[in-house]
Amino acid sequence: MNEEELVEYFRTQMRTDPDMASAVAAIRTLLEFLRRDKGETILGLRESLKWATDCLTEVDSSVAVSSGGELFLRFISLTSLEHQVRAIHSHRLLHIHSEKNVGQSSLKASPPPPCLSQDLSRCKKVMEERGELFLEKISLSRTKVAKLCHTFIKDGAKILTHSSSRVVLRVLEKAAAEKKRFTVYVTESQPDTAGKQMADALRRLNVPVTVVLDAAVGYVLEKVDLVIVGAEGVVESGGIINKIGTYQMAVCSKAHNKPFYVVAESFKFVRLYPLNQQDVPDRFKYKADTLRTVSDLSDEHPMIDYTPPSLITLLFTDLGVLTPSAVSDELIKLYL
Amino acid sequence: MPGADKEADLTERIEAFLADLKRGGCGTGPIRGSGETARETTALLRKVTAQARWSSAGDLMEIIRKEGRRMTAAQPSETTVGNMVLRVLKIIREEYARSRGSSEETDQQESLHKLLTSGGLSDENFRQHYVHLKANVIEAINELLTELEGTTDNIAMQALEHIHSNEVIMTVGRSRTVEAFLKDAARKRKFHVIVAECAPFCQGHEMATNLSKASIETTVIADAAIFAVMSRVNKVIIGTQTVLANGGLRAVNGTHTVALAARHHSTPLIVCAPMFKLSPQVVITTVVRNRIILSKVNVHCPVFDYVPPELITLFISNIGGNAPSYIYRLMSELYHPEDHDL
Repeated sequence: MNEEELVEYFRTQMRTDPDMASAVAAIRTLLEFLRRDKGETILGLRESLKWATDCLTEVDSSVAVSSGGELFLRFISLTSLEHQVRAIHSHRLLHIHSEKNVGQSSLKASPPPPCLSQDLSRCKKVMEERGELFLEKISLSRTKVAKLCHTFIKDGAKILTHSSSRVVLRVLEKAAAEKKRFTVYVTESQPDTAGKQMADALRRLNVPVTVVLDAAVGYVLEKVDLVIVGAEGVVESGGIINKIGTYQMAVCSKAHNKPFYVVAESFKFVRLYPLNQQDVPDRFKYKADTLRTVSDLSDEHPMIDYTPPSLITLLFTDLGVLTPSAVSDELIKLYL
Repeated sequence: MPGADKEADLTERIEAFLADLKRGGCGTGPIRGSGETARETTALLRKVTAQARWSSAGDLMEIIRKEGRRMTAAQPSETTVGNMVLRVLKIIREEYARSRGSSEETDQQESLHKLLTSGGLSDENFRQHYVHLKANVIEAINELLTELEGTTDNIAMQALEHIHSNEVIMTVGRSRTVEAFLKDAARKRKFHVIVAECAPFCQGHEMATNLSKASIETTVIADAAIFAVMSRVNKVIIGTQTVLANGGLRAVNGTHTVALAARHHSTPLIVCAPMFKLSPQVVITTVVRNRIILSKVNVHCPVFDYVPPELITLFISNIGGNAPSYIYRLMSELYHPEDHDL
C-alpha cells in the first residue's frame, strides 16, 4: 500500500462517516495497511507502520491521529511479543526433542525452525482479529462516556462548552433523551467558527442554545452551572490539549469556582508531558498545510492550547470517571 | 422443618435491620455509629451467603444485589451499607476468579492495556459451579469482619505520629474515630482540643465531655467562632460520614466552614476515616431535614456538607495515611467498577 492509497483510504474513511473520530479513522487505515502488508518480519512491519503513521500525520496534524497511531503501534508490539515468545519456546521444544533422538548432531548450528515463517502469518492473523475487536470496542467508547457523564447534568442546568466536540454532543444528546431540561452556551471558536456547527446540531435536538463570542466567556460564566469540553488529546499529567480558547475557559471557570469537566475517549491518551504552552510540539499546534508551506511559524496562530490538570475537575472516559492524577496511572499501565 | 425456620429467622433479621436503619436517620444523629452499621451489614450478608439457596456465583451476586438494594433504599444517607455490599460482591468475584484458576490480573479494571490485549469481549457470566466457593466466600467475609473490628484501633495507633506536645487541635461535632484518635495520643502527649459545638444538635458537647473525662484540656466554641479561633489552631482533625470517589467528603454540617477557614490560615486538615466509608459515588445529593422550630417559619436544616478534595491535606485510614488524589486508586482496589450502581 503506497502513500496515495493510504491517504485516499484515510480520507474516504473520514468522508463516509463524519461522526467517526479521526483517531479511529487512522487506526482503521493502519489496520488495512497491516492486512495488505507483504513484509516478512515483525521489525519490518513496525518500520512500515511508523512510516504509515507519519504519512497520516502529514494529512491531519491533530494530536488524535498521532495518539491513535502510537496506540496501534503499541498494540502490534504487545501482540507480537506474546507470539514471539511462543515461537522461540516451541522451537526450543522441537530442538530438545530432536536432540534426544539424534544426539550426535548437537555440534551443528541449529537450522531455523520451519514454524517461524508460518508463525508470522499466524501472528498477523491474530493481530487482524484483535485489531477488529479493538475497533469494535472503541466504537462503543462514546456511548460509555455519555452514560457516565449525563448524570452530572441536573435538570435546569446551564452548560458552557467550547467549539465543536462530537463527544460533548453525544453526552448532551443522552441528557436530552433522559428528558432533562438544560440550556447550552457555545463559544463561536474562531478562526474556523466551529461553534456554529455545534449550535446547529443542538438546535436539531431542540436544546435551547446561544452562540457567544470567544471573548464573552468571562461575561457568561456567572450564569452557567458547569463547563463541559471535549479534548483532542489527554496528556500524561492529566491535562488536555484542545481547540484554542479552552485554557482561557478553564482559568475563568476556576476563578468563578465552576466545575470544569472534560469528556474524552481513552484512545486519546498521549505520551506527552508539556509543562507550559511552549512545550506542546509545533507539529500539533498548526494545521498540516501551514506546517508544509510556511517557513516562519512565529506569525501563525496556533490552533490548540494546553490546559493544565490543576484546572480540571474530572475527566469522563470510557475507562471510568477519572481524576487528573489517575490518567498517568493508566498510561503507565499501558506503556511500561 | 429446620430449613424453613432458618429462612424465616433470616428474613426476620433483615426486616429488623431495615426497620432500624429507617429509624436511625432522625434528628439527633444515628442511633448507632457507622462502624456498627458496617459490621451488622456484613454479618447479615454472611448469613445470607450461608443460608440462601444458590448454585453459582452469579446467583449469589444477584441475591446480594437484591438485598443490597433493599437496604440502601431504607436509608439512602447511610452509605456504609451500600459500601459493604460492594465489598462482598468484589469478594465473590475474586473467589470465583481464584476457583477458576485465572490470575488476579484478568479480572481487573478496564484499562488501555486490557483494551489492546484481550482476546475477546469478556462475557464473564459467573455460571460455573464450584464446590468450595461457599466456604471460601464465607472465610473471606470473616476476614472482612475482622478488618472492620480493628479499624478504630488501627487509626488510633497512628495518632502519636501526627499529634505533638502543646499543640492546639480543632475538631467539629462528634466522631467516634477522632475521639479514639485523640484519646490514644493523650496517653503520651499533652495538648489542647477545641471543639466546635455543631448546632442545632450540639453533638460537640458530648465529644467535649468524653474528651475531658480522658483528661484532655477541651474548649467548646460556637460555630460562628470557628474563623476567629482558627489563627490559634495548629491542626484540624475531623471525622466524616462518607469519603467520595474524587477525594471529597460528605461530612456533618459545618465541616465546609472549618475547611475553608483552615485553608485561609494554611492549617492542615486531617480526616480520620476508616476504609469502609469510602463510597464510589461522586455526585452528592444534599439531605435536607425539615424541622419546625418556630411555628410560622420553615427552617431548612441540611444534615451534611460537601467538602471538595482541594481543601483536605491528609486522609488517615486503617491502612495508613493517603493524599486525597490517591483515593481513586484505593477505591479501585476495594470495589469492582461494574458494581458501582447496585
